[in-house]
Amino acid sequence: MANVTGARRKANGLRTASDSRLARFILAVGAIVVLILLFRLFTNFDVFPESWDIGLADPIDRARRWLINNQTSHWLYTVFLNPITDAIDWGIRRLESILRWFPWYSYPLFTGVGLWWTRGRVAGVLGLAGVALIGVIDLWEESFATLALMGVSVLMSMVIGIPLGIAAWRSDAVARVVRPTLDAMQTMPGFVYLIPFVLLFGVGRVPALISTVIFALAPVVRLTEVGLRTVPQVTVEASEMFGATERQTLRLVRLPQARPAIFAGMNQTTMLAMSMVVIAAFIGAGGLGQVVLRAMQSIEVGKASEAGVAIVIMAIVLDRFSTGIATADPGRDARAIKWLAPTVSAVGIVGGLLGHNKFPESLNWQFAPYVDDATDWARDNLYDIGGSGIGTGPFSDFVTLEFVTPLRELLASDIPWPAMIGIGVVLGLWARGIRLAVGIGAALFAIGFLGMWALSMDTLAQTIVGVAITLAIGVPVGIMSSHNDLLRTALKPVLDFFQTIPSFVLLVPVITLFHVGRIPGIIASVIYALPAAVHYTDLGLRRVPADIHEAAESFGATRSQRLRRVEMPLAAPELMVAVNQVIMLILAMVVIAGLVGGGGLGLEAVRGLRRSDAVGRGFEAGIAIVLLASILDRLTRAIADRLRPPAAV
Amino acid sequence: MDTANETAQVRVEGVWKVFGRKTREAKELAEAGATREEIQTATGSVVAVRDVSFHVAAGETFVVMGLSGSGKSTLIRCVSHLVAPTKGTVELCGTELTQADSAKLRQLRRQKMAMVFQHFGLFPHRKVVDNVAYGLEVQGVDRQDRQDRARELLDTVGLEGWGDHYPQQLSGGMQQRVGLARALAVDPEVLFFDEPFSALDPLIRRDMQDELIDLQMKLQRTLVFITHDFAEALKLADRIAIMNDGAFVQVGTPVEILTSPADDYVRAFTQDAPVAKVLQACTLMKPLDGAVIDPGWPRVSSTTPLEAALPHLLGSTSPVVVCDEDGPPVGLLHGDDVAGVISENRP
Repeated sequence: MANVTGARRKANGLRTASDSRLARFILAVGAIVVLILLFRLFTNFDVFPESWDIGLADPIDRARRWLINNQTSHWLYTVFLNPITDAIDWGIRRLESILRWFPWYSYPLFTGVGLWWTRGRVAGVLGLAGVALIGVIDLWEESFATLALMGVSVLMSMVIGIPLGIAAWRSDAVARVVRPTLDAMQTMPGFVYLIPFVLLFGVGRVPALISTVIFALAPVVRLTEVGLRTVPQVTVEASEMFGATERQTLRLVRLPQARPAIFAGMNQTTMLAMSMVVIAAFIGAGGLGQVVLRAMQSIEVGKASEAGVAIVIMAIVLDRFSTGIATADPGRDARAIKWLAPTVSAVGIVGGLLGHNKFPESLNWQFAPYVDDATDWARDNLYDIGGSGIGTGPFSDFVTLEFVTPLRELLASDIPWPAMIGIGVVLGLWARGIRLAVGIGAALFAIGFLGMWALSMDTLAQTIVGVAITLAIGVPVGIMSSHNDLLRTALKPVLDFFQTIPSFVLLVPVITLFHVGRIPGIIASVIYALPAAVHYTDLGLRRVPADIHEAAESFGATRSQRLRRVEMPLAAPELMVAVNQVIMLILAMVVIAGLVGGGGLGLEAVRGLRRSDAVGRGFEAGIAIVLLASILDRLTRAIADRLRPPAAV
Repeated sequence: MDTANETAQVRVEGVWKVFGRKTREAKELAEAGATREEIQTATGSVVAVRDVSFHVAAGETFVVMGLSGSGKSTLIRCVSHLVAPTKGTVELCGTELTQADSAKLRQLRRQKMAMVFQHFGLFPHRKVVDNVAYGLEVQGVDRQDRQDRARELLDTVGLEGWGDHYPQQLSGGMQQRVGLARALAVDPEVLFFDEPFSALDPLIRRDMQDELIDLQMKLQRTLVFITHDFAEALKLADRIAIMNDGAFVQVGTPVEILTSPADDYVRAFTQDAPVAKVLQACTLMKPLDGAVIDPGWPRVSSTTPLEAALPHLLGSTSPVVVCDEDGPPVGLLHGDDVAGVISENRP
């Protein structure tokens, strides 16, 4: 009897808990509606008042001018910054000249042999052909610039990241500083890293490299720390019992066991660096990114596609290499390697001595004209198919006019700005509590004070549309793939491929179909974020334990009942993580799309990078992007936590 | 006992280990006789080891037997100083570990002691031979010498030819042989065993126990062995300490424990113990003291388990003659004594 009452009381307790949660949510929604109505009826607070702009741009522009004038004389430069610049520049040049010394044919050969060894025959042949193709389409020289920048970036990320990871593992004090910093750094779209370094160093390869290293640093630090933390305690005890010193234990026991994790971090760092090195073309990093950028600015789609293909090939080869090193099974094909490795080395050295370092022009073949023809055809025929009002053009107009523009107007002016801040605060309050609410409120005010309110709402509107499209496609596909192993196996290489492509390059095929404007940016961002949406949905649903499936089934639940009542609620926190990832990816891409007429904060930031008189505005836009990203990230993560079932007591 | 103290290689005096913040309050409560649960609710601290003292003589096998949570694992970590005791002293080969600085401790670990772990604690990134050579590598022995020594030890534990495999390619029993070889490679005087065989299948466990007994006959090291298996304790130990709730309940030879358990807790273990299998003829025999031996009396060797001597005793009033391995009689085993122990075992 006592048990029964106990159980009933417990059940009641649960019900009241969820009741009050629902009640709080309804209350919050009601509060928002009342807020909006009040502001609309009694005030004229529509747009954030311009007079409240604190005008951060002017002092920054002044600082920029001062920095330019003092670059050769001030101690900050002569003692500190210029030596750094020179050293980094020397490193990049040196690496580039070493890379260029080897004969052209050693690169496809080396890639082919390396991938054959680590990944198998097919990968080897594809790698060889892919690298050769870069030369064939006459992007050999530009590739070396990119490769040298990549090499130095990854090397520096390792040299800084691994010791930092060790320090964070060793000292809780360091970890307490490093971890939230890395979290914050990963939240920001890579693009905004360029702005402060341009301010400090001007344009060129050095600021590109520094921002790349900072952007790409997080995974290697994090995974070094995780790797060290997960070393089994018993092996450490064993080492201690043999009288090993701390250093010996670290060198002989901990680091070797953390190596797979560190390699995984290196792989992620490499991929982040690749996407950043391409974007860094905005600040004069040169290389393949520069080719894409120039071609896109003059709408030479063919040229942009060629460079895009070269970038994708380089990214995939580097990805396969860096995962291959970590998981190589040296036993396979070992006999072939025994003679292939020295042969390739010998060929490389002999060819280098003979000076075969130029890719032969006779092998050149361009596919740009064909792409240009295809683009022209697409513009003439797909933009508005047969004058029927169906096609990419009307589609763009439809999405723009029906969704993006109304949403932007809704956010920027129809909802008064104090109500927008109110919505943010209420959401924060509901999702986590007073601290998040205050944080969101302050961040939104700051955006207003920067004079970035309207532009931020534009970017937010594009982001929301992009997220909605991504989830509308990605979640159903993820659900299907979680129930169908065949589909999952088929999707995996596609998703992997799209995740390897540096974000910037995705814009190329999209502008061939949709021209410039807000829509190509949104579509590119959807393509960019779709893999994450599918992957996390699938992952979340697959984590639902099998016995819960069986329990639901044993009660006679239909498949859709099971999905709606059991799987989705249980997977809800993971799905919210998917939403979080998607939002961050879309925002990053929407910002980059400022380049192709995406408008909003991105356009302002791009302008700041390209025109020295607009650096101040660009900087303000950068801060606004960071604030917007932080708000969206914290809020979605807080909601994900909210959705988690209570932990076991 | 006094003579054992003189030559003791391991001396543990009044060792306490309290995990948590309020260690002093917890200790005071424990000294006043509070149970572990009471202390935990009062202070939030866990008393893992309370006031444990023991000495282990050179060449002796000392087994600490306790159920999970009894504190035995923490105790061996206090003794080997992987965990610093809250209070009390630990002395190893004449050096007080509790006073030693880290350099001194390291030196002692390199030269005097070694440990075999429950889950082997092998290094998955090193070949078997490099696992065994680890202790020597840490000491700075050069590569060729330490590899030679490691291969020699792999032969000793019956793993010749497995040196170039990785530990995870070996079965559990073989992995623990590697663990044993690794510990022996540094030629330690004191060996700590933290439930080394509990992760193994029963049959393999028995083989490993037999092998350890053989090795110990040859090497005569000082062993401190932790187990939760009473039968294992009986089989291996010169002396057993029964541990419960962080403290020693009884310390004695297997026969002492079996024949006069200190309390109900210990008796609970002895009741299920295979006494007739564990106890050997020599443990219950009466010395000859010049008694006349009837040539018709049956003879058994001193290491015969009681079980095997029973058929000779049943239905006969005459004792069994217990002989040394070489042959000469050393004592007499009487039916009454055997019956006494066995009936004690089955109340």
